[in-house]
Amino acid sequence: MPELDPLIHAPARLQVMTTLSAVSEAEFATLRSALEVSDSVLSKHLSALSEAGYVRLRKGVLAGRRTTWVALTRTGRKALREHVAALRRLIDLVD
Amino acid sequence: MLSNMESMPLAQQPEDPSSVLAAAGRARDRLADGLRLPRGLFPAVALAVAVQVGAGAYGVAAQTTAGLAVVLAGAAVFLGVAALVLVQFRRVNGVRLDGLASTIVLGTGTMSTLVYMGTFAAATWAAFESRWWLVVIAAVVGGAAYSLNAFLWWRAYRLNPVERAGGVSSRTLALLALAACVGFAVLMVGS
Repeated sequence: MPELDPLIHAPARLQVMTTLSAVSEAEFATLRSALEVSDSVLSKHLSALSEAGYVRLRKGVLAGRRTTWVALTRTGRKALREHVAALRRLIDLVD
Repeated sequence: MLSNMESMPLAQQPEDPSSVLAAAGRARDRLADGLRLPRGLFPAVALAVAVQVGAGAYGVAAQTTAGLAVVLAGAAVFLGVAALVLVQFRRVNGVRLDGLASTIVLGTGTMSTLVYMGTFAAATWAAFESRWWLVVIAAVVGGAAYSLNAFLWWRAYRLNPVERAGGVSSRTLALLALAACVGFAVLMVGS
């Protein structure tokens, strides 16, 4: 049975993971705009998620400028699915 | 303070699972809803596929080295246009969508595959029979159907981005395209 994942339990990290699930890869600034957070906040969350193997960070170029591309890993997608399932089960219990 | 929190409805508390999920869904939708296709993507894809079908049919029917060159030129036009629109999409939106790349390059989808194969077969037969007007019609129909499939994929993505985002990676697509061109060239030279 899926359990809550402490690493993505924080709402901000769940938002990062959920947003990334809609694309194959997102550029740092695009992700920051969608999440409406600062560079430093997003960097901090991405570092933690990257260390856990939930996201993959890649240096690249967009429109001639250096940037970082972010993607969910297979492990990250699985963790997100299980965490969301656990949250939904909690909601069902309350309802 | 405590009384304030207790009086706050559960759905409004920041850590309430429903609110947490809803906020995450809103962030995802903000990204997905903001994505825009490059201008002229569908007509460009339709034209590129029509050129590829027409050139392929002519080249196969010609069965000469020049015919092979026409086939490869048609494939190059198609792959060039596909690469261009995908790079534009990435540049405009700051995201990569493998599902879109698979749809445009591979024409994934039953309708798209069947119509493409049918129109390519019809165009090739017409080229063997030197009925060039039929080659043109088959190529145009093939291009339009392929483009329609891309349009339908995009509409489905907007409804359910998580389900539709995935696909074959760009690197794999490039390798597949290269392998297809080399394989076709080998077949033509060997025959």
